[in-house]
Amino acid sequence: MKQWITLFKKEQLEMLRNFKWVWLPLVFIILGMTDPLSSYYMPRIIDAVGGMPEGTVIEMPTPQAAEVLLATVSQLNLLGVLIIVLASMGVIAAERKSGLAAMVLVKPIPIINYVTAKWLNVSLIGCVSLFVGYITGWYYTSVLFGTVSFELFLQSYVIFAIWYTFVLTLTIFFSAIFKVAGVAGFITLTIVISLSILTNIMGDYMIWSPAQLGDSVASLIMVGQLGDGFWLSLSVTVLLVVAMLFGATKILENKELE
Amino acid sequence: MNGIALDSTTVMLLMPIAIIQIILAIVALIDLVRTEETYGPKWMWLLIILFISLFGPILYFTIGRRSY
Amino acid sequence: MTILAVEQLSKSYNENLAVKDATFQFEQGRCVALLGPNGAGKTTILKMLAGLLKPTTGKIKFQHEKENADLRKYIGYLPQYPVFHDWMTGAEFLQYIGKLTHLSDSKAKQRTIELLDLVGISDAKNRRIGKYSGGMKQRLGIAQAIIHHPKLLLLDEPVSALDPFGRREVLEMIKKLKEDTTILFSTHVLNDAEEVSEDVIIINHGEIKVSNSIEQLRKQHQQAMIYVETNVQEKKQLQEWVNWDVVTDIVFENHSAQIIVSDIELAKQKILREIVEKNISIQKFEVGRTTLEDLFVKVVRG
Repeated sequence: MKQWITLFKKEQLEMLRNFKWVWLPLVFIILGMTDPLSSYYMPRIIDAVGGMPEGTVIEMPTPQAAEVLLATVSQLNLLGVLIIVLASMGVIAAERKSGLAAMVLVKPIPIINYVTAKWLNVSLIGCVSLFVGYITGWYYTSVLFGTVSFELFLQSYVIFAIWYTFVLTLTIFFSAIFKVAGVAGFITLTIVISLSILTNIMGDYMIWSPAQLGDSVASLIMVGQLGDGFWLSLSVTVLLVVAMLFGATKILENKELE
Repeated sequence: MNGIALDSTTVMLLMPIAIIQIILAIVALIDLVRTEETYGPKWMWLLIILFISLFGPILYFTIGRRSY
Repeated sequence: MTILAVEQLSKSYNENLAVKDATFQFEQGRCVALLGPNGAGKTTILKMLAGLLKPTTGKIKFQHEKENADLRKYIGYLPQYPVFHDWMTGAEFLQYIGKLTHLSDSKAKQRTIELLDLVGISDAKNRRIGKYSGGMKQRLGIAQAIIHHPKLLLLDEPVSALDPFGRREVLEMIKKLKEDTTILFSTHVLNDAEEVSEDVIIINHGEIKVSNSIEQLRKQHQQAMIYVETNVQEKKQLQEWVNWDVVTDIVFENHSAQIIVSDIELAKQKILREIVEKNISIQKFEVGRTTLEDLFVKVVRG
């Protein structure tokens, strides 16, 4: 346990020194602000850009608060996921490539400690960044468009965070398999995007899919209820996370470190 | 977008974005100076960080810095 | 007491055999040189012993442990090209590695100070490793390898990347370290092996050619030799001497010949008489013994 804490603290320190704890939350705050602000200014932007014949009246219904928050969710689900995966894809791959993994793992360290210490750090920074981004979006939405209850916000955040953890576990898993960080990131993103698309177009067959968690986030915001397959997809997600952590451990144990 | 009058509400709303972008650029520059090696020449990253707002620093942090 | 015994150890990559049926063992407390030219398989052997590579076949037995057990807690390992977290300071890295090897916080701190002093980089302890020179990284590498008092220290080419001055210092350091622990280090320079180690394992093309103590090797392989320096025209006359009973072999170089003989007294008289009778012009005549260098060259070429 003490050894695990040493590994964990080292990851924390690294993420402080390379400013991940600074830039990731800041970028997420901007992501959270973008949609409420652009929705708020849209009529005026269209006005200003012009091009419409004099006297044209554009009817733009003011969007509902829930709709604006949903747009923020999509933003965090798209750009947010992209950025967090790019920021984490090298977490094991780069250490293997540079030879640091070999330097450290010749010491008597169970590989599972190495993997899980990294996993928890990456998940932590991902979920905290998501939180600051999401709460910024919620706050701006509440100020500019009317309130969405804080309780609903929190509930949907927790589900959102589980989805993020799943995505980051995938990243760790592929980072353990591939020496080139870019490959790990690319494959992770491909899987996440395909999973989301498949879940969208054939929802009936994909009721188990971790991407259903995103649906539950949306339906919580819009109608205040969890999506249909929530509990099933939650169980599958948790199982997959555990399986991938064990998988990454087994794979690294059998890899030859250079 | 000179059509949007810079009333005080707008300034209040947009100010945080500007401040955060400046902080991001500064942090990226500090890191660029301190880091041993980057993928590609450092002067290129200097330009990217300075002239591409928001995405410049993000690009630098995600794919520019090479550090163990 | 045997500390490490390796039996029929092989490692192949696809079809290529990097190490072939390596069998050797050595005693606790010895300093052993793994000597061979570049690409002989030294690094592969060390990495298998350190647990970084899995042997294709063969056994590694350490003291009372089971065959092919996880030996990481007994072993300190310095790779040929050590790498570090550039963003850490030297002191931070040593403490980190110390705690990973189950030292308590205070013990890790104390060991860090001791080791920084031992390897001579105390002045740079609070500098980021990214700013260290190659020699300083090598020293830090040695420090991290011995932080947990390993029973067996594996050093992969510890001096080959260093300038003569750094080389000298690291060799002295190894001499100091071998008082407390068993050391196996690889090198492609015979002088390094002769200077610090008691045993030598010579390897070429993945096969162990010689494994013995340096003392024994000197006894067994040093042969009586007469060294004659002459001019090119006269060399033909020397060639006939191979047929003499007393001469075992003659190795010619440009202007000289190493005549390896079975009976030095007899050979000396015979050769000197021949030189006088045939009026062979010589620049130098020397009676001596072959060196380990000659053995090494013979093993590597043959």
